[in-house]
Amino acid sequence: MSALGGPAQTGGVQPPTAMGLVISIVLIVVALALAFFLVQMAGVIALAGIIIGGVLIAFGVHFVPVGGAPAAMGQAPGIATGVAMLAAGAGLAGLFGGAWAAPFGLVIALAGGAIGGGLLMAITCTMVNVIYIFGMGIPSASGKVDKDPITGDTFPEYKSQGTEGHGLPFISWVGGVVGGALGGLGGTLIYLELLDIYQAQLPVILDVTVEQIASVAVSLAGIFAVGMFLMNAVLAAYNITGTIEGPHDPKFKRFPRAVIAAAAASAVAGIFAIALLELVGVF
Amino acid sequence: MEEIVFGIGITALAGALATVAGAAEDTESDIGSQGDPNSQVQLAPQMGYIHRIFNKAIAGEPPAYGLWVALGAGLAWAFMAMQINPILAIVLGSALAVFVQGVYATTAYLGRTASLAKFGQPVYIDILKSMTTVTMAHAFVAIFTTVAMCHLMIAALGHPFPLPLLGLVWGIALGAAGSATGNPFYGKERQYQEQKFGAGVPISASGNIVRYAEAGQRNSLDNGFFSAKLGGPASGICFGLIVFFELWRTVVFEELNVWGPIIVGIIVILVFAIIDRYIEVWARKNFGPYTAPEEASS
Repeated sequence: MSALGGPAQTGGVQPPTAMGLVISIVLIVVALALAFFLVQMAGVIALAGIIIGGVLIAFGVHFVPVGGAPAAMGQAPGIATGVAMLAAGAGLAGLFGGAWAAPFGLVIALAGGAIGGGLLMAITCTMVNVIYIFGMGIPSASGKVDKDPITGDTFPEYKSQGTEGHGLPFISWVGGVVGGALGGLGGTLIYLELLDIYQAQLPVILDVTVEQIASVAVSLAGIFAVGMFLMNAVLAAYNITGTIEGPHDPKFKRFPRAVIAAAAASAVAGIFAIALLELVGVF
Repeated sequence: MEEIVFGIGITALAGALATVAGAAEDTESDIGSQGDPNSQVQLAPQMGYIHRIFNKAIAGEPPAYGLWVALGAGLAWAFMAMQINPILAIVLGSALAVFVQGVYATTAYLGRTASLAKFGQPVYIDILKSMTTVTMAHAFVAIFTTVAMCHLMIAALGHPFPLPLLGLVWGIALGAAGSATGNPFYGKERQYQEQKFGAGVPISASGNIVRYAEAGQRNSLDNGFFSAKLGGPASGICFGLIVFFELWRTVVFEELNVWGPIIVGIIVILVFAIIDRYIEVWARKNFGPYTAPEEASS
């Protein structure tokens, strides 16, 4: 029973239904076939990258410790904001770094994106604990586990009366950094795949040079990457329903459902992003 | 070498602008109760506690700031394309974005508060008149500094994103950093100032926010005055550090080796891990447990 008076959190595994799985697979296969039809093998590779990016984002969001409104009153552990919002903040900061490193190749750009997202979360999570400890005099305590799986700190005696815990225990801090890094990695992967395809196809369709099209390609890829990031983060947030403490939270085990949904959604959104080229060609 | 020195200067300036932006953003959102503590401002009249706190929470801080900063950046970008001086363009773009924020704040307050009519909560027109302009002023500072920072990233450091897109990215990050750091201080320390210091607010106290000030009833200007002392500056430091380290690791170490920024990023993350763990242990030692361990485990 939750101390907040809500229904008991099932927390455990909620596997995707067979119907959901079949529909998702059909959507992904159709999207891949369309991508092949539109831009041949390059389209399939780009769409596969977009799907992997979307899956990484949705999986990463489950790591981010978010406590929502109860966290703002010191009633529950986590960061006092929304799941999708915080993940978006971290992932987009990662995208900023990844896009900057794009000229150095895929691996460095992806690593740059991951570290960018992780860095934002590392600083934010540390500042959350600074405020809790030095501004409010409250130590960290998890409400979901009695012992920190990393440090071995015990929590029940550090939970103040009438609350579910507060602050960010070290496991949540690590979860936040991992989530931010996965988000930054996924967002950057989507951006790079779209940028590749736009830079290869737009000059052919519009009969201009790569330099002339560079700013349009960057803008389009960036906007689609931001949009797909938000889409996957919100999907994951619906799966989490409210708050989550991090990888040690029982709700974390729900991630397979979000991962499948994100793969299907990314495939559909990705095919629209790729098909945009054909629209440009028509006009 | 000169390029690196120039880059470090721009990085420091961008970090300073981000610090001001974070502080202004958190103070603005606290005056408007836009962060998560808005739930308590909305709940209070339903529990019988009528108050004079402003409440414009119809969107979270990150998407709201994503909108306003992208709007300011987009307009500034358009003005710059019309050959208007960049500083003037950023001021004009931010000013126009602030009018959107003002309309948002007004309609949000009226809508949210009017929905509480059946619980006897009045819509105070004097609150609307006095608070809205204050949130607008703070929002202008936050938007102007963030757009200026984004412009520096493009014009001086050569980031490939166009200004409006960069505005959206950093606007969302600004809201995320400000709400994460500043919300607990406003929610716990201000709204529940009567509760015990050094402990979370018991769930049974939900809705019983502090409604009286030294003289008369408390309003959101008092709350802004309070959170500007710690929650705002802490949010500013948070966002300033994010922007500074994000730029610094690239500007300084990319010249040495393409892997340099990534390795330095990992080192900075590890340093913050050590700081976090140190203060966590420090708090456990200095504050001590609320109950004896054996009682808690029984």
